[in-house]
This record gives sequence, structure tokens and C-alpha cells, in this order.
Amino acid sequence: MKTRGVFAAAALVLLLAAPRFLERGTLNDIWNVAFAVILASAWNLLGGFAGQVSIGYSAFIGIGAYTTVLLSLAGWHPYATLPVSAFLSAAFSVIVGLPTFRLRGPYFTIATIGVSEAVRVVAAGVAFTGGSSGLRMPAGSFDFQRDYSAMVVLAVLVVALAAWIQASPFGQALRAIRQDIDAAEALGVHSTKYKVLVHALSAALVALAGSLFAINFQYISPNSVFDFRLSLSIVLMPIVGGLGTVAGPVLGALLFGYLQIKLLSSPALRDSYLFLYGGMLIAVMLFEPRGLLGLYRRVRGRITRSFSRPVPDAG
Amino acid sequence: MNEIITVLVNSLLAAGLYATMSYGLAVIYGVMRIINLAHAGILMLGAYATLTLNSRLGMDPFLSLVVVIPVFFGFGVLLYLTMIRRLPRSSGGPSIESLLLLFGVWLVLQNLAYAIWTGDTQSILTRYTMKSVVLLGVRVGIPTVAVFSVSALSLVVLQLVLRRTYLGRAIRAVTQNRDAAMIAGVNADRISAAAFGIGTAFAASAGSMLATMYAFTPDFGRSFLLKSFCIIVLAGMESVAGVAAGAFVLALLENFVGGYTTLPTSFQDALSFTLLVLALVAFPQGLVGAFSRATQRWRRLGRA
Repeated sequence: MKTRGVFAAAALVLLLAAPRFLERGTLNDIWNVAFAVILASAWNLLGGFAGQVSIGYSAFIGIGAYTTVLLSLAGWHPYATLPVSAFLSAAFSVIVGLPTFRLRGPYFTIATIGVSEAVRVVAAGVAFTGGSSGLRMPAGSFDFQRDYSAMVVLAVLVVALAAWIQASPFGQALRAIRQDIDAAEALGVHSTKYKVLVHALSAALVALAGSLFAINFQYISPNSVFDFRLSLSIVLMPIVGGLGTVAGPVLGALLFGYLQIKLLSSPALRDSYLFLYGGMLIAVMLFEPRGLLGLYRRVRGRITRSFSRPVPDAG
Repeated sequence: MNEIITVLVNSLLAAGLYATMSYGLAVIYGVMRIINLAHAGILMLGAYATLTLNSRLGMDPFLSLVVVIPVFFGFGVLLYLTMIRRLPRSSGGPSIESLLLLFGVWLVLQNLAYAIWTGDTQSILTRYTMKSVVLLGVRVGIPTVAVFSVSALSLVVLQLVLRRTYLGRAIRAVTQNRDAAMIAGVNADRISAAAFGIGTAFAASAGSMLATMYAFTPDFGRSFLLKSFCIIVLAGMESVAGVAAGAFVLALLENFVGGYTTLPTSFQDALSFTLLVLALVAFPQGLVGAFSRATQRWRRLGRA
């Protein structure tokens, strides 16, 4: 635990010092990866730790981004809007969660597709989202240095929070829910309460990322924040990296951040991103449902085994 | 009064198609406890297959079903043998792995369609696309009537297959209790392959028929997936009649809202999603399940 804390602090210092010796382009890439890390790790709290796969997370990015832009246009300081967007997103997650968490596993997943479709349709139809022409942040609210720092700090905090939750009794309760919800209930875990709580927490974190996204991009529209590619990669990053672990989503975010950069620079790849994402999902499910982290552990296990004397397998 | 008849006729006609596309999802769920998210992709691919047969060979969209149904049956069996079969079988409800795997298949199919047919909006025009007939004093398009007739026919054939043949009895047996069916000598693996083929063929034929009524893109099918899902949740997974009833309930609701309110069309889709969530929450065992439970309770009360 202690070494992890040192590691997190070192990563934070390094990332915050990066603007002194790295170019703007590289910093932009780091910003993108940090954004991805927040989304993946926050989604993983519900989807990985508690095993409730939701495909409707773009709604929370949208709530965060729109809260920030609308309040900034009303004269608020952009960063003063962050608590409001976290709160609104958490509140929305509770409204969605209370009915849908009565459903289990895949039924919950299907219901979240329904919810996200409804949100997307409504967001495109109502006036305050600016419709398809979108909304712009007020002039003079842009400061890359500041926005970069905010994003990397949030990313490190979210990963640290995930590690802390995993080790805490709260995390154990979530794990129990994932493994066997009936057994967890029988042992006195109030599953609905825990699911709603962790959903709200991860929704609030995703909304914060959405707010920071809006502040840095200065322009949002229903198409940019409710983008299908975005909600797809939120689900794929933790799954490809390693569902229900702390390092897995970070690994997945690094991979997807890299892919994103490649995708933007190559038209041929951009046209086949669905193929790429779908193929990865199929490959992970068929060959290594624990993702890259599981693959790494398997390979490492095989190597250490081949170098050491045969010992009885301790499991 | 006239308006009510209009709503009823339109709902009935829509329900035929809804039942066909939902049965594709229901049979796969019933036999394997898998939610086929690739359903939407298969619907879309069926529409494009019909488009190609129509534009290249001049084949009538309804005649193209003769090609589409066997081809997609084979495709479904192939999907089962290469992928679905390799997944660990979950004991209770459907597993999240199968859902995500088929989600991946859906994405790949979508990309395939973009690569072959581009993202342009397509539609199929025939001599009778714009023609209409009067049924019970209601003017309805010929494609709608044709789609209903073919759907109704395929559901009748399906019902006969399920009741009269070994395959049908085996499918029903595995749906009711896989282990018991296997003890009784049913080859559940082979039945699963057949069920996946049948489900895929039904989805593709529904897609072919949808193509005669709607314009489509590779993104086509998502709202129909949710509709199908809503219907099988309403209907339960057991019977063809249940699926037909669920389809009628959804079609009635959509037509009623479309006919009596000024809700914009894009919000109408949100209606089936809302109904879906409400149905999932209120009747986890489906309307049919809720109904049979209610009648059982009634009988018990009568006896007491």
C-alpha cells in the first residue's frame, strides 16, 4: 500500500512537471490519455468491481460538459461549476439506478442501452443543448496549463481512489455482489444500496471529466459529448485492459489513447475503428476474459514456472 | 370510431413484423440463455442482402427471402460453432461475456457494411412501394400488407415446426430445462446450433422486410433491437403466441401515441425504451408469466 502511495505521488509530480520539458503536442496526448484513464477507472468501479456493465455512460459526460458550459455562460468561473456537475450527474445516476438496478447482469446492460438512447434523443431535441450547432464556452476561459494540471490531478486521484476502494470493506462488498449477488445478500450486503452508491460515485467522476473536457475543448455539441465512439471506448478500455482491477483500466486507457491518436491521423484506420474495437472485444471474450492484465499474468506465470524448480501449485 | 379502427389495423400490421424479428431473439435466448446483441447487425445485414439481390439481379425483395433465409441460417450456425460454443456456459441467467462477445460481432458487422455499401442512406423501390389498398376502411401501403402476410405465414410455419417436428420439440425441451432435455437424450449442442441458425434467419428475414418499408444505413437496427427486446420481455420467451401478443401490445402503444398525441417521431422511439425499462422492472418474468401467475392465484382462490 505504501509503495503504491509513493508511486502515485511520483507519477503526479512527474506529470505536473511535464510542461517544463515537453512540447504542447505531447502534453495534448497526455491530456487525452488522462481523460481516458478517468473514464475507464470510474466506469470500472461499477462495471468491474461490482460487475454491472453499463453502456449508458456518455450521458454522464454530457451532463458534466453541459452543466459547465451553461453555468459558465451564466457568468460562473468554469472551475466553480465542477461540484455542481458532479452533484447533478450523481443525482441523475440515482434516478436511473433505482429502477434499473432491480435488474440483473445483462438485463441491466440492455436497460442502460435504452436509457442512453433516450438521453441522446432528448438531448438532440431540446433547445438548451444548442441542438446540432452546439455551444461555445465564454471567451477568455481557456488556459491550457491550468486545464492540463486539473486533468492529470483528477486522473491520479481517480486511480488512487480505485485502489483504496478495492482494498476497503466497500470494495469487498462490491466484489461479493459481482461474484454471487444472492450469496452477498444472504451475508447481509444490501446490494441495491451498494450498487446505487458506486454508480453515483462513478457517475460524478465521469461528469468531472466531462466538465474538464468542455473547459479544454471550449466547444461542445450533443454529437461530441454523446458520441458513440466515446461511450464505446468507455466500456472497452477496462475490458481490454482487465476488468475489475486497478491497473487494467489504466492499461486499457493507454492503449486506447494511443489508438485514438493513430485513428485521428489515418483516414484508413478511422474508417475501420468499429472493426478494430469489435475485433478486440471478440478476442478478449474468447481468449482472455481478464484482458491484457490477465494475459500478462499468464505469460509471467509461464515464464517464472519454466525457470524455477517445479513446486506444487498453490493456486 | 374510425380512428380507433385505423390504430387497430395499423398496429396489427406492424405487429406481424415485430413478432418475426422478436422471435429471432427469443429462440436464441430460450435455448442458450444468451442475449444476442448482434441481432441489430443481422437485421441490418438482411436489409443490405435484399438490396444487393434486388439491384444486381432484379430480384423482388420478398422473393429474395428464398436466398436470405438459408444463407443467414448458415451464418448463424457458423457464428455458433466458431464463437458462441467456446464460451463457458453460465448456470443461471445469461452471462455478461456472451453479451459483450455479440456486441463485438455487431460492431464488426456494422463496419463490414460500411466497407461494402458505404454509409449512404439506401432504400429499395419496387413497383408497389407507393401503392396502397383499403382494408376495413383504412388506407394501408401494399408493402405493409405484404410484410404482414409473409410474417404471419412464417410464424404459422414456425409454430408447426415447434409443435410437430423432433427439432421443434427438442428446442422447446432445451428451453424449458436444458439438463433434463440432455438426460432425455437431446443433443443440446446440436439443438443450440440449429436455434442460433433459426434465430439469425428470422432476424435477417425481418431485416429484408424492413428494407421494403424504411430507408436504412449500416447503423440501422438499433431501435429495432430495443423493440424486439422490449417485446420478448413483455412476452416471456416461451411461446410464439406470447411473442405475437407482446408485439401487438408494443405496436398498439406506438400507434396510439402516434395517432392521438403530437409527440415528435424521434421521441416515439424513446417510448419503447421507456416501456422496456418499465416492463423489465415491473414484470421480470414477462406479461405471460405475470398472467399465468395471476390465473394460478385465481384458481387457488376459487378452490379455497
